[in-house]
Amino acid sequence: MNKHEEYKDDLLSQYMSPDYTESAPEGFTPKIMNRIRLEKAPVVVTEKFLKRNLVPIISVVVILVLIIAEILVSGNESDPAVLTFLGLLKNIRSSMPEPDLSSLFKISLPSVLTYVFIGMLALVFFDRALYRIFHREK
Amino acid sequence: MDYKGDIYYIERVLSGKSNCFSYIVEKHKDRAYNLAFRICGNHEEAEELAQDSFLKAYRSLGSFKMKSSFSTWLFRIVYNTTISHVRIKKKGVLSLEDFPADATDFIGSSPSEDEAEIEYRSSLVSFALQKITDEERGLITLFYYEELSTDEIAEVTGISKSNVKVKLFRARQKMQMIIEKAEKEKIAYHE
Repeated sequence: MNKHEEYKDDLLSQYMSPDYTESAPEGFTPKIMNRIRLEKAPVVVTEKFLKRNLVPIISVVVILVLIIAEILVSGNESDPAVLTFLGLLKNIRSSMPEPDLSSLFKISLPSVLTYVFIGMLALVFFDRALYRIFHREK
Repeated sequence: MDYKGDIYYIERVLSGKSNCFSYIVEKHKDRAYNLAFRICGNHEEAEELAQDSFLKAYRSLGSFKMKSSFSTWLFRIVYNTTISHVRIKKKGVLSLEDFPADATDFIGSSPSEDEAEIEYRSSLVSFALQKITDEERGLITLFYYEELSTDEIAEVTGISKSNVKVKLFRARQKMQMIIEKAEKEKIAYHE
């Protein structure tokens, strides 16, 4: 920026500052209040529980479905009604390496903690994904 | 009386004490009026637009999220109300001839030559401001007069932060060119 441009920019900063703010005319507030007295009182808009908590609800439902599916797969597999679906889940599960966090931390963890840990990671993942969907930048 | 913060008065208005809205108006009226005036360039219209904006804010007060900034929320209402108004009612564009040619033109109304020079430059900047587009005028006002950050301007106007920066840069360049042209005209006028 050369000196001439700096002068021009200074001129803008100098004469467009809060010191040069135009004040509202006399009687501005009473005029508004006269109009407001004719208005109905504003009502607090409360969002429905479902709408307000849509993201965590979807996350929890997805995780619960996964956990229930996991429990059912490892349990009784003789029920023909869910056999196809559970068989598919089992195939997916068996194709993935068995998580063994106890060897990672050198301590013996109860197996349920493994699933809790995976569930937490999945929750975080879904929360981030849903946040991006519902709070996408305009 | 000490101002107890926007949220305090908003909660009181929402609990049925509508008169408490006057504290909010008193606190924000100048900034709201200034924003409307800088965009539309007319005192009467600016007053009307600022009043309409406060009224809209009052009606929508129930949907205001207490975690966000009230002034930014109000600015968004003023900005949108004023921009919509000036877009509907396009006014005549000023020509360079409309601008007084010299600081000496201001001496009659100013006690000293220095003050006349200040008044001249201030008018030059105001003149340049009226020559740019409504949207640019809004951005320049929020940036310079209201001293909002580009993040806040993006929130008020709904334009992305990067776009705000680009538009501000262009608006500044335009204003600088207008000021330069007006000053050249002044020199030519004296020659």
